Amino acid sequence: MARMKFLCDAERCIECNGCVTACKNEHEVPWGVNRRRVVTINDGEPGERSMSVACMHCSDAPCAAVCPVDCFYTTEDGVVLHDKDICIGCGYCFYACPFGAPQFPSTGAYGSRGAMDKCTFCAGGPEPDGSAEEFKKYGRNRLSEGRLPLCAEMCSTKALLAGDGDTVSDIFRERVTYRGIGTLAWGWGVAYGKGGVRQSAGLGGKASSTKE
Amino acid sequence: MGKKSPEDGGRRRRMMFRAFALMLAAVLLLPLMPYAVAYVGGITNPNPGADLWRQVRQREAPPEVRTQVQGVDTGVLINARGESWREFRMEQLIPWSGWFLGGMLVAIALFYLLRGRIRIDNGRSGILVQRFTVNQRMAHWFMAVVFTILGLTGLVLLYGRFVLIPLLGPEGFSVTAAACKEIHNLFGPIFPLAVLLILFYFARGNGFHWVDFKWLAKGGGLLGGHASAGHFNMGQKLWFWGTLLFGLSLVASGFVLVFPNFGQGRLIMEWAHFSHGIAAVLFIGGAFAHSYIGTLGMEGALEAMTNGYVDANWAKEHHDLWYAQMEAEGKVGVVPERGLSESSGGPETAGG
Repeated sequence: MARMKFLCDAERCIECNGCVTACKNEHEVPWGVNRRRVVTINDGEPGERSMSVACMHCSDAPCAAVCPVDCFYTTEDGVVLHDKDICIGCGYCFYACPFGAPQFPSTGAYGSRGAMDKCTFCAGGPEPDGSAEEFKKYGRNRLSEGRLPLCAEMCSTKALLAGDGDTVSDIFRERVTYRGIGTLAWGWGVAYGKGGVRQSAGLGGKASSTKE
Repeated sequence: MGKKSPEDGGRRRRMMFRAFALMLAAVLLLPLMPYAVAYVGGITNPNPGADLWRQVRQREAPPEVRTQVQGVDTGVLINARGESWREFRMEQLIPWSGWFLGGMLVAIALFYLLRGRIRIDNGRSGILVQRFTVNQRMAHWFMAVVFTILGLTGLVLLYGRFVLIPLLGPEGFSVTAAACKEIHNLFGPIFPLAVLLILFYFARGNGFHWVDFKWLAKGGGLLGGHASAGHFNMGQKLWFWGTLLFGLSLVASGFVLVFPNFGQGRLIMEWAHFSHGIAAVLFIGGAFAHSYIGTLGMEGALEAMTNGYVDANWAKEHHDLWYAQMEAEGKVGVVPERGLSESSGGPETAGG
């Protein structure tokens, strides 16, 4: 079976928020809830990077671990979903999630949380695939139609990749090799002298990571 | 031409030895020079990838972050503390509190089996002394009811997944847990009122005195014998102050948790949950012991809190200093209010 994962290539993301808009529109996500967001680091400075983040569909999901009513389940494809009818809106999954994926409408007493909503990898929920109830609660189920998540499909630069983990990492590895400066997960400063890694690879420019 | 003297041979050998030592030192130490240069010169190894991912993980000061999505913590890419909170709740709070509360119940059961009910040694005299006013009793039972409701609903939210889902099924337990959450959130803001009532009506007489430490040293007579005590003994005083401290902690953290709409981030919520959970578990354990000793554990104790009067012999044995004071003030053997139940035992008497 496939092992569904997201990967956002920080080198390509241009912060267009196309993924955010696509997700919000396609699933008719209620007001105040945002399943996907783009975060920009060092905004306006050399070394600016953007990254699109939603649920990462962890193999050992901490949200599932802390849920007091055990409303999470992982599908055969590795997609982490939950049952909104079981959810009591306590918010523990939001505390545990490293990525802040669970979102809550403020509909309860004292402004407390309604049932949790999060990225479903466009795989719906426990309701029957493609049914009206499923769309009302969880949004569109693209995976059952053989399609991939809309955020990755709509990404203008193909920074956001979604799909089987092996395929996605193959694509990313191709890019890394082509760029010739590594995944930026280790340093080349000493070997290639002063200046940023991009300078030495002839890729210097506005997004260069050198601060000089 | 200089003739070679015997000393020349020795000097040459010394010179050779020193030259050899010098060469050996040079061979060993010279290759270390680049390290010295690096250490002194501070060669930096700028690692743009490491910088980026360090900022992503918020390991250093928050970078210049911008996101178009507004909400709580939306600028945080990775919240590393979520894992430590998960570990706290799932691997520490739940198992350890389970052992603690279960252990308390077992310990109390064992104590009852071994020690039995603590009787009034000299039997009931039938002479009554008023111990608690109606306001005090009202404050106590108000607190008891609110505490029990909050404690039970809280325990359902903590342990229910492991204990009740097998019994009720996922949907059944979801309804139960949702109800418990709403009840807990509703009675939560009432709890500070109960704490204030306890503080107001029981503060007098709960200061610590030397006699209380002597009471503690004697184990409060728990295992036999009697210890001297005033209106409240050390155990009761510790319970009073514990109620205030635990209560304060629960109220403060509870308000943070029950009103999530003031934009507090996950770090604050995790700290609030941490103190709320620990205070609650300790408080509940204490409540087990308190409830036991006030009901089954001690003959003549419960009526103090139900109708407000205790038997004079009970008072002499367990709170002798207070009884002496009551006797001196002429308050022993006053006619009790109408509607007194038989639990006080014995005929009513007016005056000594």
